[in-house]
Amino acid sequence: METVYYIILVPMVYVAFAIFFVGTIARLVKIFREPKNPTTLQIFPEKEPKWLLALYDTFLLPTVTREKPVFWAFLMLFHVSLLLLIIGHLELFKKFKVFQVIPHEVFLGKGFVGLILSVCLLFFLLRRFKSPYRELSVPEDYYLLILLFLTVLFGSQMDWARRWYGYELLAAEDYRAYLVSLLYLKPKLSSAITTSGHSFMMVLHVFFANLFLMFFPFSQLMHSFLSLPMNKLRRG
Amino acid sequence: MDEKTRDDLLKLFRSKLNEAMRLYLETCTRCGICVEACHAYASMGQVRYIAAYRHEIVRRIYKKYFKARGKAWPSVGESKELNEMALRELYDAAYSCTGCRRCMVYCPFGIDTQMLMSIAKLLLVGAHAEPEILTMLADMSIERGRSLDLFKESFLTGIKNLEAEVVKKWRMEAGGTAIPVDVEGADLLYVALAGAHSIIPAAVVFNAAKERWTLSFFEAVNFGAFVGDPTRTQLILERIVNEAKRLKVKEVCICECGTAYRVMKQLSGKQPFEVSSITEAHARYLREGRIQLDKSKLKDPVTYHDPCQLARNAGVIEQPRFVLSQLTDDFREMAPDVRYNWCCGGGGGLVALGEDNLDFRMKSVKVKVDQVKQTGAKILATACENCHTQLSDLNKHYNMGVEVRFLSSMVADALVQ
Repeated sequence: METVYYIILVPMVYVAFAIFFVGTIARLVKIFREPKNPTTLQIFPEKEPKWLLALYDTFLLPTVTREKPVFWAFLMLFHVSLLLLIIGHLELFKKFKVFQVIPHEVFLGKGFVGLILSVCLLFFLLRRFKSPYRELSVPEDYYLLILLFLTVLFGSQMDWARRWYGYELLAAEDYRAYLVSLLYLKPKLSSAITTSGHSFMMVLHVFFANLFLMFFPFSQLMHSFLSLPMNKLRRG
Repeated sequence: MDEKTRDDLLKLFRSKLNEAMRLYLETCTRCGICVEACHAYASMGQVRYIAAYRHEIVRRIYKKYFKARGKAWPSVGESKELNEMALRELYDAAYSCTGCRRCMVYCPFGIDTQMLMSIAKLLLVGAHAEPEILTMLADMSIERGRSLDLFKESFLTGIKNLEAEVVKKWRMEAGGTAIPVDVEGADLLYVALAGAHSIIPAAVVFNAAKERWTLSFFEAVNFGAFVGDPTRTQLILERIVNEAKRLKVKEVCICECGTAYRVMKQLSGKQPFEVSSITEAHARYLREGRIQLDKSKLKDPVTYHDPCQLARNAGVIEQPRFVLSQLTDDFREMAPDVRYNWCCGGGGGLVALGEDNLDFRMKSVKVKVDQVKQTGAKILATACENCHTQLSDLNKHYNMGVEVRFLSSMVADALVQ
């Protein structure tokens, strides 16, 4: 079992991050090295400033507000929570002063960020079981949502255990030691990480997160990088 | 489908892959926000008319042949082989899409369905499975450009016969030519369609505004664009560009044809002349006081259908409204606004297919009919040949009880002498 834990927590993490970074960059380079479209692809009437409006379209999804307000609320909750979650993970490496503008205990959000994300993901997933979204979806869409749901669920479990159920054996400091050791290429697994009661949560969380990262560059998740340039095309 | 044919088709597919096309192919999350965007889905409720569904028909072939995933894990994105059946699906997707780009307004990323359908259309051309009539018409246009001398005489005779009617509507000063053709050094080259309705009212207004104009030998319509063949599109376009350069005009004015205008405006590149639509020219004449209109000519309430290629896709939005404000005091705007305006259902070459797809053309735009009815207008004006034909068909089919009119002819009829 220890070997399995080790493989998931150390080499697989390195492989996942390598695939994520190299894959994403390679995909972006491939797309943006293609020649530009010879004609404008914008929608009229046009408004200035185009860059600012493209940012607005990308991050606030105004067209969704108009058509599907409930879906928009879930999308915004999801994406904002995702951002908080990324910040939370960065804080597991190091204490950043910028993030502590509003003082908080690591991990961010008192457990609610993970809860919101789980609910949103369930909503997105169940939505796709319904026509016409079912006919539009391909397996990739379900796999990604399930994968992300599992990642978030097991990740949040660790947070919830500490926050809501007073579980003390696995703390932010233990994660920090583990993550920093990975970062400095001197991987070290403390006994808190591998043998405490909630280790399996941690291992499963990392396992699903690894799969998610490895799939990222090859999937529709690239929309996180491609949305802005596409919205710029539409704004002209 | 044999190996060689498929390879040739995939080469055509590859030729369409530029930066924007890659973005459109890579990014869809199939979120379904575009569901209600397409008039065909909104009118008929069939999933195959949803924009994302149409995209996916092209995208599945892309995943199969242009992404490693197509080989490593084909089922994850349901990638699909390019074969006879796939061609039929591509046909259904492309020739039920008018390229109105209404769905592009809905999409959180702004995926351009017309662009993706242009891949489908090009593959169909490559497989000789496109609607033959469109290619035939495109080839006729190209041929006319190549051997103009053969057509010149009959064209000039035809034009001469129209002059009397132009003069009837606007008396010229002695010695003036009612329809000037082939005038070097004219200010404006007017590119019309084959048909008196596209030439006479335009000529009347140009003469009234004392424009130094000349009529093009060629018709504006670009069947190459309808059939989605970039080479033919370019050849048809070049005939006019060359004529404009030869006559050293300052402006090329395109008749009421949305696609012709958009192709000329956006695809002709940097040229020594400006490109305008006839509606823009009319608005300019009115603003400069070169023509005046009599509002008493129109008694009934008027509404205006924005041709997608002219308005949402090329920005001619304010000008027709200004012209209408000079024509009537009872102009009724359609709701929702121009970005969300429903397509008439005739674009993308669909009208040119005539009776073949009449049933679909009528059923697929029930929403447009309702939109027009809501205004309570009796006159339905528009500034595009295809829209005019389609709206007239709808008027008959649904007993809408409106009069469908070209904006240019409304201007010509209301001129103050």
